[in-house]
Amino acid sequence: MSAFDSTEAAPELVRAAVGVPPRPIRARLVTTVVAYGTLAVVTCLLAPLVGSTPISFSRVFDRSIPFIDNVDAQIFFVARMPRVLAGAVVGAALASAGVVLQALLRNPLATPFTLGVSAGAALGAILAISFGAAISFGPFSPVPFATLVGAILAASIVYGLATKPGRAMSTSVLLLAGVTLNSFFSALILFVQYMSDFTETFRTVRWLMGDLDIGSFSPVLGALPLLLAAFAVFAMLPSSLNLLSVGAEQAATRGVDVARVQRLAFVSSALATAAAVSLAGPIGFVGIVVPHLVRLMVGVDHRIVLPASAFFGAAFLVACDVVARTVLAPVEVPVGVVTAMLGGPFFLWLLVRKS
Amino acid sequence: MAARTKKLTLAFLLVCGASLYGSPIAHAQAPAKRVVSLVPAVTEMLFAVGAGSQVAGVGSYDNFPPETKALPRVGALLDPDVERIISLRPDLVITYGSQVDLEKQLSRAGIRTLSYRNGGVANVLQTLRDVGRVTGHAAEGDRRAKEIEGRLDAIRAKVKGRRRPKTLLAFDRQPRTLQQMYVAGGRGFLNEMLDIAGGDNVFADDRRESVQPSHEILLVRAPEVIVELRATGLAAAIGEREEKAAWLALPSIPAVRSGRIHMLNGDYLVVPGPRIAAAAETLARALHPDAFK
Amino acid sequence: MSLHSRSVSFGYAHEGRDSFALHDVSITVPHKSLTGLLGPNGCGKTTLLKLMSGILTPQSGMVDLSGRDLASIPRRELARHIAVVPQETHPAFDYTAIEMVLMGRHPHLGPFRLEGPDDLAIALEAMTATSTDHLAHRAYMTLSGGEKQRVVIAGALAQTPEVLLLDEPTASLDLGYQLEVASLLMRLNRERGVTMVLATHDLNLAASLCDTLVMLRGGRVLAQGPTREVLTGPMIQQLYDVEADVRFHEDAGHLTVVPVRRVP
Repeated sequence: MSAFDSTEAAPELVRAAVGVPPRPIRARLVTTVVAYGTLAVVTCLLAPLVGSTPISFSRVFDRSIPFIDNVDAQIFFVARMPRVLAGAVVGAALASAGVVLQALLRNPLATPFTLGVSAGAALGAILAISFGAAISFGPFSPVPFATLVGAILAASIVYGLATKPGRAMSTSVLLLAGVTLNSFFSALILFVQYMSDFTETFRTVRWLMGDLDIGSFSPVLGALPLLLAAFAVFAMLPSSLNLLSVGAEQAATRGVDVARVQRLAFVSSALATAAAVSLAGPIGFVGIVVPHLVRLMVGVDHRIVLPASAFFGAAFLVACDVVARTVLAPVEVPVGVVTAMLGGPFFLWLLVRKS
Repeated sequence: MAARTKKLTLAFLLVCGASLYGSPIAHAQAPAKRVVSLVPAVTEMLFAVGAGSQVAGVGSYDNFPPETKALPRVGALLDPDVERIISLRPDLVITYGSQVDLEKQLSRAGIRTLSYRNGGVANVLQTLRDVGRVTGHAAEGDRRAKEIEGRLDAIRAKVKGRRRPKTLLAFDRQPRTLQQMYVAGGRGFLNEMLDIAGGDNVFADDRRESVQPSHEILLVRAPEVIVELRATGLAAAIGEREEKAAWLALPSIPAVRSGRIHMLNGDYLVVPGPRIAAAAETLARALHPDAFK
Repeated sequence: MSLHSRSVSFGYAHEGRDSFALHDVSITVPHKSLTGLLGPNGCGKTTLLKLMSGILTPQSGMVDLSGRDLASIPRRELARHIAVVPQETHPAFDYTAIEMVLMGRHPHLGPFRLEGPDDLAIALEAMTATSTDHLAHRAYMTLSGGEKQRVVIAGALAQTPEVLLLDEPTASLDLGYQLEVASLLMRLNRERGVTMVLATHDLNLAASLCDTLVMLRGGRVLAQGPTREVLTGPMIQQLYDVEADVRFHEDAGHLTVVPVRRVP
């Protein structure tokens, strides 16, 4: 059928053609997952060992002391472990959402944060926090649901703008749209704060700085359905994202259902952003710093970049939180401030380098 | 509305404290006949010194004493209504210290202003005297201040010599969790109230008025008593039992193990006004129940 | 494989009204032919290519791929038969040339399968055929215009299609690269029997490469047939309102077109 199907003598041909044969994708994928997975796991194992207070690890794991009396064990298992887990899932979600949005919009500066998706999710969360006491459903917090609605709303606006047929969005238009959405949602957040009580404003201000100190594993469990759904969809996307990032029409002529992939990508990144924001508030810059560092290390193939970014994002945010917990100890710095300190200059550097 | 007011005054307390100063703090001037107060604590003081009938308007969040309900509202910290204030024809307006623009506008209209600024218990008493003086009730102001001083001294005497428990004084947090918690630091009005009531603030070494502790810090500070000043609105929405249960996440904290967690509700606990003696007594009773038997 | 459009009409919705880009267009692209698509700007060349590649669906009429309605062929299967080379390709990320070419294997792999040694061999052969094998590990963005276009063509070849649709593939290239790409296309057509449709403004390129021509003007077919019969002075005047001198060039071995003057 095909005009030329030549699979004979493949290895010789490969060597003759390029000298050094390219490493097979399967091997690269395995190496990447093992290397970055190890980095993430090791970071998560080391992170609870440090904090604002030194603790004794022989006491932490001493079974003869009842847990209820064991301060060291409680610091380790209640204060630090959930926090590290939250950092890992939030970092993975934000970094992956960044990778997906950047490929989808063919723009390396697109992230949940720069596009206003985080701000949309934050607005939802602020509404839930401010008026949530009245509308809570027993033990279920309304926050994840409200962040999801906000994130989907913001992502739909970006989707509507970005997928208008017959025109690709330039970086400036996209960033401008993001800035506009961000200020729009920020204005609404201010309005909600103005309308709500003053002390709630204190709480929401603190929340908007980003906070991983969740104190138990249950918020992570609460966000788990969103996370699982997001990552299930992410797993379907990488090779389509490669083609999309080359050009939507070319992707279509190579068998990609462009409209479907675009919808899936927007929905899944909104899900991941909502999960992250509902857990930890709108932590910025993870979605831009992590994918770029990863691309510098492993190249740009999304089948490698996406899993590597998820793991690296987890390690990155957990490490940032370690800094947040220890740099001014015993006072803790909001983790969003740490990521912003690192990410702000990085973003500007990218912008300068790009233009 | 009550919940709202409580939380607002609570917040204002963080922003401001208590003490008045204006330009000039007039001894020589004639007593003010029509006073507008934007500050809940000062409004209470006006009524306490017997100047209630001279109050022409109050802030949006002032609701004590009950007489304030019938008075015109003129906005508050963020949204003072200048036109409405001027239309009430006051000869004295008491503003928040940060309302510089408002003060300028009022002085252009020839209206005297007094600013309300940061301070502790001593400033509350001084402000009470000042309020008495500028409204022509100096004697009553002095008498009330002395009475409050006496009651505070009585509380100090009652708790004197007793073991001062390491206490965490929290005034806000996310419902049902220990996240986004705000507690009294080693400075300011709440810290001073805790001191009078015979508790040692676990954050005494932190030189901020409010501290946002993480779970780890809470575990490390290990308070023997936890006192939470709660918004009445939340008290209605979420039961006290449920809110206390949030602390079970940190079972090694002595206060959690002994059950010495007190949920205290009420405006008077956080308004740096004439009811501080009652507030200090409520705190002292929570910390030293034996002393009040 | 042959490709036909049968009474195809297509319009873009414009300010609420459909303005038609193509009217009742019926063309035939014979099996193994190298068909040129000529016509002035806005005549509908690109639209017709998009209809023939399945990116757009006709509003009436149909496109027929060796007897099957194009619209009924699943996207991925279609991509195994028809590949497209756009005028320019600007990837958002810094892929290497070999990565760009390997993406051509997507219709054979689908979203989940990773490429194996066979796919790699096909990609490298495509690169050899386009003389880009030495560029395999170079970043696509650092290549010259001609190298880029040859890499893109290699990617299209890696799809192992029977039909290749090219939209002004030499428009942004200088003369040397134009000849390079032209001879590559000729070779692929002759040696591999790939059916090609080439939309172009370059009449001499069309004259040198194409055995068949389709002329479009105002969204309608003006003429179609073997190059020697269709590429005439009067036809060019009808197509572009330009008086042209068309002669056979002995050295080049094909017709040449020299535009003389614009006729009102």
